Amino acid sequence: MMKANSSWFWARCGLSGTLLGMLLLGLTGCGEAPPARFRLNMVEMVSSEMSRDQQIGIANVLTAAFGTPDEPFAMAEAELDLKKLKAAAGAVASDQLGNEVGLYRRHCAHCHGISGDGAGPTAAFLNPYPRDYRQGVYKFKSTERVARPTRDDLRRVLVEGVPGTAMPSFRLLPDHQLDALIEYVIYLSMRGELEQRLVAETFDLDEGERIDQLPEVAEITKEVVAEIGEKWAQASDLVINPDADLAPPTDRSPAELAVSIAAGRELFHGERAACVKCHGTTALGDGETTDFDDWNKRLFKLSESKPDLDLAELGALPVRTIRPRNLRQGIYRGGRRPLDIYRRIHAGINGSPMPGSAKASPDAAVGLAAEEIWNLVDYVQSLPFDSLSLPPEQLVAPKRERL
Amino acid sequence: MSPVVAHSPALSKLSQSRWPHRLAAALLGLTFPLIWIGSLVTTTQAGMAVPDWPNTYGYNLFLYPWQTWLWGPWDLLIEHGHRLLASAVGLLTIALAVALFCLDGRRWIRWLGIVAVVGVIGQGVLGGMRVLLDDRTLAKLHGCAGPAFFALCVALWVCTSMWWTNAKRRPTTGGLERLTLITALLSYVQLVLGAQVRHIALGARPDVFQMLVVMHLALALVLLAHVTVLVVRTVHHRRDQPALVRPAMLLGVLMTVQVGLGLATWVVKYGSPAWLADWGWAAGYTVAADSMLQAMTVTAHVATGSLILAVALVLALRCWRLADWGRQAAVAGSATLLGVTT
Repeated sequence: MMKANSSWFWARCGLSGTLLGMLLLGLTGCGEAPPARFRLNMVEMVSSEMSRDQQIGIANVLTAAFGTPDEPFAMAEAELDLKKLKAAAGAVASDQLGNEVGLYRRHCAHCHGISGDGAGPTAAFLNPYPRDYRQGVYKFKSTERVARPTRDDLRRVLVEGVPGTAMPSFRLLPDHQLDALIEYVIYLSMRGELEQRLVAETFDLDEGERIDQLPEVAEITKEVVAEIGEKWAQASDLVINPDADLAPPTDRSPAELAVSIAAGRELFHGERAACVKCHGTTALGDGETTDFDDWNKRLFKLSESKPDLDLAELGALPVRTIRPRNLRQGIYRGGRRPLDIYRRIHAGINGSPMPGSAKASPDAAVGLAAEEIWNLVDYVQSLPFDSLSLPPEQLVAPKRERL
Repeated sequence: MSPVVAHSPALSKLSQSRWPHRLAAALLGLTFPLIWIGSLVTTTQAGMAVPDWPNTYGYNLFLYPWQTWLWGPWDLLIEHGHRLLASAVGLLTIALAVALFCLDGRRWIRWLGIVAVVGVIGQGVLGGMRVLLDDRTLAKLHGCAGPAFFALCVALWVCTSMWWTNAKRRPTTGGLERLTLITALLSYVQLVLGAQVRHIALGARPDVFQMLVVMHLALALVLLAHVTVLVVRTVHHRRDQPALVRPAMLLGVLMTVQVGLGLATWVVKYGSPAWLADWGWAAGYTVAADSMLQAMTVTAHVATGSLILAVALVLALRCWRLADWGRQAAVAGSATLLGVTT
């Protein structure tokens, strides 16, 4: 009896093991290892009703203009450094002297994806999602809202990381590797921007026409790439540099600082800056919490307008709302210097619901003057030290009373 | 006191020499660091630091200039180090197989020695092919085969010990033996799942990775429950057998450490989970890419997984060695726990 039981047990073990092995192989694919290739932005393709043939046309133009993940290429109009691109592209490897290649795949691709679509294998678990570079939209930068970031802005994010997110600090990488990664990120952005423009151009073509078969395709591509390259080249001219005469002096007395904080508090809770709308009256980030960033808003609108579209099948991540920052923690993802916070308030955060608050011109009727923005900076910086931000045991009065 | 049954007289003739066991112990002592270093190679993505195989940059593996190796780049240091250590493991495995053939009368253990030699050569070729083809799937297989070879070394170590030769059969407790075996099997499946997570193809869809991580976590919970039950039942039924109680306790400790290392691995790789985002520490935490803390935490998680498999296997082999399936130990009552009936 025991022997029969034992045989049955072994048979079950064997069967379970076989089934499990098949399941694992099925899940991961036996010998799958898909070759590294750029993926088309299928959400754009399908929502713009590009036919399969037209998609191939767009892919051909993109390959001609930017090469492949293993063999990147940049047209002269893009003003990219091909040597740096080659160091960042390709498979991970190094030599006896320690020269490394494949830096993007080594450090970035598992979250940001080979194509820079922010949908690498690990992306679904991360909150916020990794940046999708393909629109050329970056949140934390020193430039005006819709301007591209400077290379220094990208370097700062790489070196400092983004606190409270999965974006790590690459402080330990040597400068030349950081330079190569920055160049490659810009390359992926430009490629994505060109892809969007090609979709728009193809949309205007007659049915059955492919963009890669147009006689003037080379001129169109050069023109668009030059336009995109120009935006990136102009970024350093669009850095927000507040007027030094209007900046608060560094040797302010506590009383002067208190006055500025009080003015900032008024603005924060008032209608002109209307910070409380999202950050909440408590500044805990508990105001409007049902809004989306631009990437998710686009997907949300698509899902509303075309409910039959299977966005997940097209490679999109599930839509998520964005959380306003809890300003009482003293954690600022775009940098903690007063200048960083000034720039956030001045231009807002591109791609997010955080609007720019600065006046369009000194004489403009709406918006905040530079002094008022500095008042807000002082108030925001005071919040982590406000009694409401202290642990409960240190509170001397109920929260409602102190508000 | 439970009745005991001696093994057949043939057993007493076995393993007269202590050398096979000593060699098996040395093999274990080398294989575990090899797993550490192999894991470190994957963690730091240094696998392609030496593009040729079996040579190293054109040199015979053993003749590569040691100054360049030791004072060269980090990736070269660990990849070439991994190859040298693997070669030492290979040579020791051959020595063990020879010792078993000459000094151990048991036919099956001689075959096990040959299987180990084939295994270590196969694993070396797999590692070499992974380099020559720069193939992620082969890297995954290499990562899964490493712990399997380690488990084989453990089996050789246990089966060549004096304890194995002198063990007296005891009435089986029924479920305990099966529980040990299932725990060892699950430990290996968990390692395989971990390898899928670790070697995920860069072109894989996010939901594939998500599913693998969820499966890895779910199996971790099942394994944790298994190990807990195993420890309790081993202590309860075999408290007079330190050879079983000690590995069971060690397994419990390792499992606890491993859960902590698993959580730490996530945090040092991807930051704190979203549900912790409002906590002061988590809100301000920035992951440091390529830091020693990151590399060592991830590597320790992988290596501890292999150690759990090894200890679970020691326990399973010893339990099965003691079990006399012809007789059932008297157990007060009958209970079903996790599908295992006592």
